[in-house]
Amino acid sequence: MSLNLSHLAAQIDDMAESLKVEEKNWSACLDQALDTIQHQSLDPESLRRKIKDSRTTWLIAGITGQLDGRFTCPPCPPDFAVIATDGSHIGVDRHSPARCYLINIGSVMLRYGQQPDAVLHSQPTLYSNKEDLIIVDPRGSSELPIEGGLLGAKRAVAECLALAELGEELAPELPSTALVDGTLIMWGLAGHAYPEYVRTELLRNGFLQALDRIRDLGRRTGLALASYISLPRSTEVANTLRIALCPYDPPDCDRHCPRKSSSVERECDTVSGIRDRDIFHAILEPGDRSATFVSGSSIVQDYYADHEIRFFYLKVDNEIARVEFPCWVEDMGNLDLLHAMILDQCRRGHGYPVALSEAHEQAVLSGPDREQFRHLLELTLNEHRLPTGTSEKNRSKRTRWV
Amino acid sequence: MAARIGEVIEASTGSFVAECYDLHSPPPLGSLVRTSDSEVDIFGVVCHASTESIDPGRRPVARGRDEHDEENIYRQHPQLSRLLRTTFETLAVGHRQGDNIYRYLPPRPPRVHGFVYLCEPDDVRRFTASLDFLTILLGAKEVTADEVISACLRLASCAYDDSRAFLVGAGKELAILLSSDLNRLNSVLRRIRQ
Repeated sequence: MSLNLSHLAAQIDDMAESLKVEEKNWSACLDQALDTIQHQSLDPESLRRKIKDSRTTWLIAGITGQLDGRFTCPPCPPDFAVIATDGSHIGVDRHSPARCYLINIGSVMLRYGQQPDAVLHSQPTLYSNKEDLIIVDPRGSSELPIEGGLLGAKRAVAECLALAELGEELAPELPSTALVDGTLIMWGLAGHAYPEYVRTELLRNGFLQALDRIRDLGRRTGLALASYISLPRSTEVANTLRIALCPYDPPDCDRHCPRKSSSVERECDTVSGIRDRDIFHAILEPGDRSATFVSGSSIVQDYYADHEIRFFYLKVDNEIARVEFPCWVEDMGNLDLLHAMILDQCRRGHGYPVALSEAHEQAVLSGPDREQFRHLLELTLNEHRLPTGTSEKNRSKRTRWV
Repeated sequence: MAARIGEVIEASTGSFVAECYDLHSPPPLGSLVRTSDSEVDIFGVVCHASTESIDPGRRPVARGRDEHDEENIYRQHPQLSRLLRTTFETLAVGHRQGDNIYRYLPPRPPRVHGFVYLCEPDDVRRFTASLDFLTILLGAKEVTADEVISACLRLASCAYDDSRAFLVGAGKELAILLSSDLNRLNSVLRRIRQ
């Protein structure tokens, strides 16, 4: 049956009313945030010390320069290339007779200047061996199936490996940037959601080894690497302002402000609800980037070693984007190149990097693609006289009847 | 050596569609082209060409507001040449088996991925030595059938030393075939007049 819009409309109306109230408070909070950032920029050293000593419940951005620093965009080199990868997958279908999953990686190389060129490519890979389907604890005590979040992490590894392979095919003298969509931080593997052997397999031996390859390539050829987040929701810089506003020194949330009730206001709540993008939308002019910040996420600090993730915000005409990169990109002096190429990509792509949007188009698996995959799978199993039975639930979904 | 211009991507008894190897370079309307089905060469007359997005869900958007030169749009967006394609459709008008040319439909459609060649003047002269194939073009359902016939005859005439004599002969043939439709005959004749 179709969605009952008449019931939904009233609920959307209620939501809009409460958003209107929040909007009024939000403007006051933003003014407070902007005042604080300007004030703190006068003495970043003391804020840095306060952050170092703090014990907070939020993620805090590390400061490398002035909080409200802004940098205009340098010109792009006359000849350059941008490479990008993106991925899409079809997970294990528990109703299917064959246990397998599919990862489709879209790769793009765009070259600009005297010899413009484009290479667009997609590569599907089917994973069906036992070692592809589960991650086994090498101590032999347990195993986890590669599904859900773990399949997403596996795909991120495949995207990064494909990017390294693409980078190795570039002309070494050509200034180049490698892009991936989203974040370089494997948030899904952080915390206690997965055991250590999973992080070893997917992060240490997978994602970070792919980053090693790109870094080594960067050392030889100057290739820069970044990920691009459109309309980011992060609040790491805004949380840094909370530290600045905290009346206690050193700040210790659990000790000084235990949250017994959400109605109890804290001094730092004067910037609550503010996202980093709100702050930088007010500070930056179109084309500018912010100062560089260091990710405070525990997974980066514990595992990324010399791939420490840093980020800046970039104002692309109407939107603030977050650009994440490993510290070696900045250490190699490639930040200006990154800034110029990403902004150029956004302008060519009507607000979003054209290489990423084409990589997505190469990777995306549409509804008919998924249906054809399922059909081909069943057909092939039939040809090999293998069982093709499915669950009654699945059969009922496929053959809809009244 | 005839120029290879594309590859069959759709084939049926009476027509085939080919994709050009080069963007924006379809053979001219009315050209005689050739492809094959194993031992049989199949001749077709180009009746339609188009350039569009490879992905039907993605339409091209205007990009040149600030450009002075159209070519610069392609230089600034090199992916465009990979995302667009030019195709052309031809009406099958005859076939060749050994040395014999037959100006009626081939026994089978060409193979998909069969190479398509633009016919050389020699082939054009051999094929248009008889104009029996005009009945196929006259009977075509395409709204531009008369345009295709006249374009085909104009182009074919270029393969002859005495192109006027060829066109006069073609005009006489058309006068017989279209004797019951003088308006249409006049319309085609006006288009082939040099």
